[in-house]
Amino acid sequence: MSKVIANIRLFFQGAVLSYIALFHWLRPSQYIATKVVGPLAQILFFTLMGKFGTSGESADFYIIGNAIQITALSGIFGVTFSLAGDRWNGTLPYLFGTPANRMTMFLGRAVIHIIDGMFGVLIGFTWGVTLLGLDLSNTDPLALLLVIAVTTFSTSGLGLLLGSLSLITRNVMFINNTAYFVLLVLSGSNIAIDRLPSALQAVSNVLPLTRGIASARAIINGATFRDVRPAMLEEIGIGMIYITFGYVLFRWIEVLAKRRGTLEAM
Amino acid sequence: MKLGMWKAYIHVIRLAFIFTLKQAMTDAFVLFGIFVQPLIIAIMALFVLGDQGDEIAIFIVVGSGLTGLWDSVLFQSGSSITRERWTGTLEALVGMPTPLGVIVFGKNLAFVTQALSSMVVSYALASIIFGYPLHVESPVLFILSIIMTVISLVCLGLVLATLFVLNPDVQRWQNGLEFPVFILAGFLFPIAILPQWTTPFSYMLAPYWAAVALHISSSTNPGILEVGLPWIMMGLLSVAYLVIAFWLFKKMLFKARVDATLSGQ
Repeated sequence: MSKVIANIRLFFQGAVLSYIALFHWLRPSQYIATKVVGPLAQILFFTLMGKFGTSGESADFYIIGNAIQITALSGIFGVTFSLAGDRWNGTLPYLFGTPANRMTMFLGRAVIHIIDGMFGVLIGFTWGVTLLGLDLSNTDPLALLLVIAVTTFSTSGLGLLLGSLSLITRNVMFINNTAYFVLLVLSGSNIAIDRLPSALQAVSNVLPLTRGIASARAIINGATFRDVRPAMLEEIGIGMIYITFGYVLFRWIEVLAKRRGTLEAM
Repeated sequence: MKLGMWKAYIHVIRLAFIFTLKQAMTDAFVLFGIFVQPLIIAIMALFVLGDQGDEIAIFIVVGSGLTGLWDSVLFQSGSSITRERWTGTLEALVGMPTPLGVIVFGKNLAFVTQALSSMVVSYALASIIFGYPLHVESPVLFILSIIMTVISLVCLGLVLATLFVLNPDVQRWQNGLEFPVFILAGFLFPIAILPQWTTPFSYMLAPYWAAVALHISSSTNPGILEVGLPWIMMGLLSVAYLVIAFWLFKKMLFKARVDATLSGQ
């Protein structure tokens, strides 16, 4: 019993501390620039480009797509930096030296970013409603909130996998940014999935966000959560798969690093 | 200033240019900014705007290339002094007889020139993958526009580099400045679709005039007067940016010597 309590404590303490550590360098002004102004600019850019184009999608298509996609800021960048930070700050050997439960420690890194990511999406929707006239009158707010929560969870799963990769590569910024922009193209946030070539549609199908964005659009158009439940279950499954891969990689890196004595080496 | 001094400065600019170019090619984040991101933006723009016909393709190539140029100015040129601070080489550079501004000019020239390759990447994508027939309508005017673009963006980079060092709070807005300039400079859509009150902000940005010059010289056959206005504006803005940068450099070095805060805040 005491072991379970210790793990729960580790989970929440690890989550809070990793988030505080992130704000050791991420100042409030940077947070506002990245999480409040940046998303507005991203939504505006793609919505305006969509308005200028003639691809037939409405402004709402881009507003909803980009508002949900903003969760990748926390899910990809936040989660990855939480794991990569240990390597940069030289605390990775201590982390691997503790007897703490690895799964608890690993998942704890993502939990606050899931909450922060949901908050980011809500900011995106606030911009959409107040500045761009997004109509939420047919929307079930609870269903939309659930969709946002599930999507943020699955995106953070990808973040955990990329975070594990950041322990063995020097190019974490390259990987993060590429993942973020690939999601912009393939998740359906700016290009309708059925317009993509079939090979890319297949890739889109195994990415987080894809089902989340489609479900959010459906909910805003009046669908109920029951309608999008199968897609949400799949989205949770995709998130779990990424978390599993990330965790296996995390453990493999630990074992390998201990065996070779290359904890912080490439 | 003596001729020998000019020669020495040009030599330093050339060396800073070559060294930065080589160093940047090993930085994956730089490669992301000039190759991957413009490519992805070009793909999205081709899907979103592509239905407007073949003639839009060159507009997209130039526009997405400009996003790479702006990213390079914002993230690479803007951090060109900060990065020296992080690596502990700023003191040595400031202590050299060559003014720091000359060295940073060479570095920024490398970043902006290198970022031009994002247009080549977008061109290859639109032409080879998407099969659009691409040609630049006024090649001579386009090349002259590129030269003016490079000069004005290097000068803008000098302002950002000093501003970011003098005020780290401004640098923290670096990420938030990326898309607003994509919008205000009209890289991939005309600024006419923006509210009118934003127009003066666009006019103050060299990237806007660069986009005007490059778009009209690539998509149309403009008269020299038509393309002359953006060139003049880029020239005037370059001078204004240089004056501001000169003042900021002086302020930065004075502050650093008085407060002895070159490597810290």
